[in-house]
Formats: sequence, structure tokens, C-alpha cells
Amino acid sequence: MAWEERGGRLYYYRSVRDGERVKKEYLGRGELAETIAHADETIRRHREERRAQEMAEGEILEDLVAPALEVREAARVLARASIVAAGYHRHRGEYRRERGA
Amino acid sequence: MNGALELPGDVKDRIRELQELEKRVEAGEEGARRELRRAVRESTPMVIARCADVSGKSRGMLSEAVSGGRPLIKEALEAKAEAMRSEIAGEDPTPLELLLAEDITNQWLVQEMLGAFYAGQFQRREHKGESEHKGATISGIAFLLKFLLKMQESAHRRYLAAIRELARVRKLQAGAPAVQVNTQVNILGSG
Repeated sequence: MAWEERGGRLYYYRSVRDGERVKKEYLGRGELAETIAHADETIRRHREERRAQEMAEGEILEDLVAPALEVREAARVLARASIVAAGYHRHRGEYRRERGA
Repeated sequence: MNGALELPGDVKDRIRELQELEKRVEAGEEGARRELRRAVRESTPMVIARCADVSGKSRGMLSEAVSGGRPLIKEALEAKAEAMRSEIAGEDPTPLELLLAEDITNQWLVQEMLGAFYAGQFQRREHKGESEHKGATISGIAFLLKFLLKMQESAHRRYLAAIRELARVRKLQAGAPAVQVNTQVNILGSG
């Protein structure tokens, strides 16, 4: 969304998505164009605030999950190490008893 | 990352050491298996005890998040998680089985938490929806949906992996002399 100068005058254009393409929509100048530009700016700011809020919520979720992930990793490593220590080896994703182990 | 709820550095070092040793055994290095056996014997009690501690507190945090601060729901969830954990661990579990049972319970709780958050988001949006610009609401939902779906998929994968791991350990333990580990694990209800 932008004001563009043509022949010394400012005209308001807005980018509109049409499928995969982005088209420029002409909205003119004057009071109406200014009102639309103001509304577009408010919506854009609102979206940005919402996005920032959602990202912050996402970080909270990740923080909540993080300890469970650490325990998962420790359990996984310990389980595999115990299996290998007990004389098994991995063969195509399956564990087989090592000969003579 | 929540600094207060991380595994301590020495535990992480032990885990890395076990990973390295396992790789050396898989690579066929002579004497590595003996070394791994020693490391498993020495590290298991400490790793399991610290994990149990982090795990208990983590369950408390997750239950709190799912319940949305409602004490009855939190209590019910914790009781369900505890029942689930002890049922999965079974009678006379080895410390490793106990840790894996704990892990499965945690992953289940993570899924519950994400599900509750997901539902809560929609409820909140429906409530606020009228005053919002339609385009902004749709783009917001798309962003959040993507993020939550990705987290839920990973959580579900981890949940299944944890179940598989416990089944594998039990199956292989039945056919091999287990590594002898003596440890006392104090499991906290919710931290």
C-alpha cells in the first residue's frame, strides 16, 4: 500500500492478491483515498500486533514443552545405550543380538 | 527455554557421553561396549533421578497450562497423569522403564496442552470476531493453525516414539541380562 507521485500529485494504490499474482489497485486521491489509506494502515498495524502476540504465545508454548523434550531426549539416549550395552546392535532400524555378546 | 527447568549441565554431559560411546560401539570399536556398559551403570541413577525431578515439575506446569488456572481441573489432570504413569510402568518397573513411562505421560500431557490451547484460541477468536476485520482474523488463524499443527504433529510423533521405546526395552530386556542398576527415584506428584 503506497502513495505514488504522478505529475506532481499523490495517488493511493493498494496491493491486492489475485491467486498467485499481486495486483495494484488504484484508489485515487483526495479525502476518500486518505480515509481508505488510514483504514488500511490501521488494519496493517492490527495484523502486525496480532502476529507479534501470536509469536509471543508460540514462544510460551515452546517454553512449556521444552522440559518434556529434554526428558524425551535423555530417555531415548539412555534406552538406546542400555540396549547396546546389553549386547545388541542396530540393523536397519531393528536391534539384533550381537554374536558372542 | 525455561532456565529453571532444564536438565543440569552434568546430566547433559553424561547424555552426550553415552551417545558418543554408543556410536563407537556401533562403529565396532574394540572395548567400546565395555566402556558403554560402565557408563550406563554409572550414569543411569543420576540421569534418571534428575530427569524425574524435571519431569515432575514439567508435568505440574503442563497441567497448570491445560487447566487454565482452574484448580479442580489441574488436580484431576495430575491424578490422571499419575495413574497413567504408574499403569504404564507396571509392577516392579526397572528405573529405565519408570523413566520411559514418565516420558510417555509427559508427551501425552503435551498433546493435551496443545489441544486445549488450540480450542482456546478458537473460542477467543469467536468471542472477539465481530469487532475484527475479517481478513486479519483469517490470516491470524492461518498463522496460528500452521504453528499449532506443526507442534501437535511433533508431539504425537514423540508420544508414539516413547511408547515404541518402552516396548522395545521390555522386549529386549526379556531376552538379555539387564544392566544392573540400583537407584532410588523420588517422584514428585506435580512439583
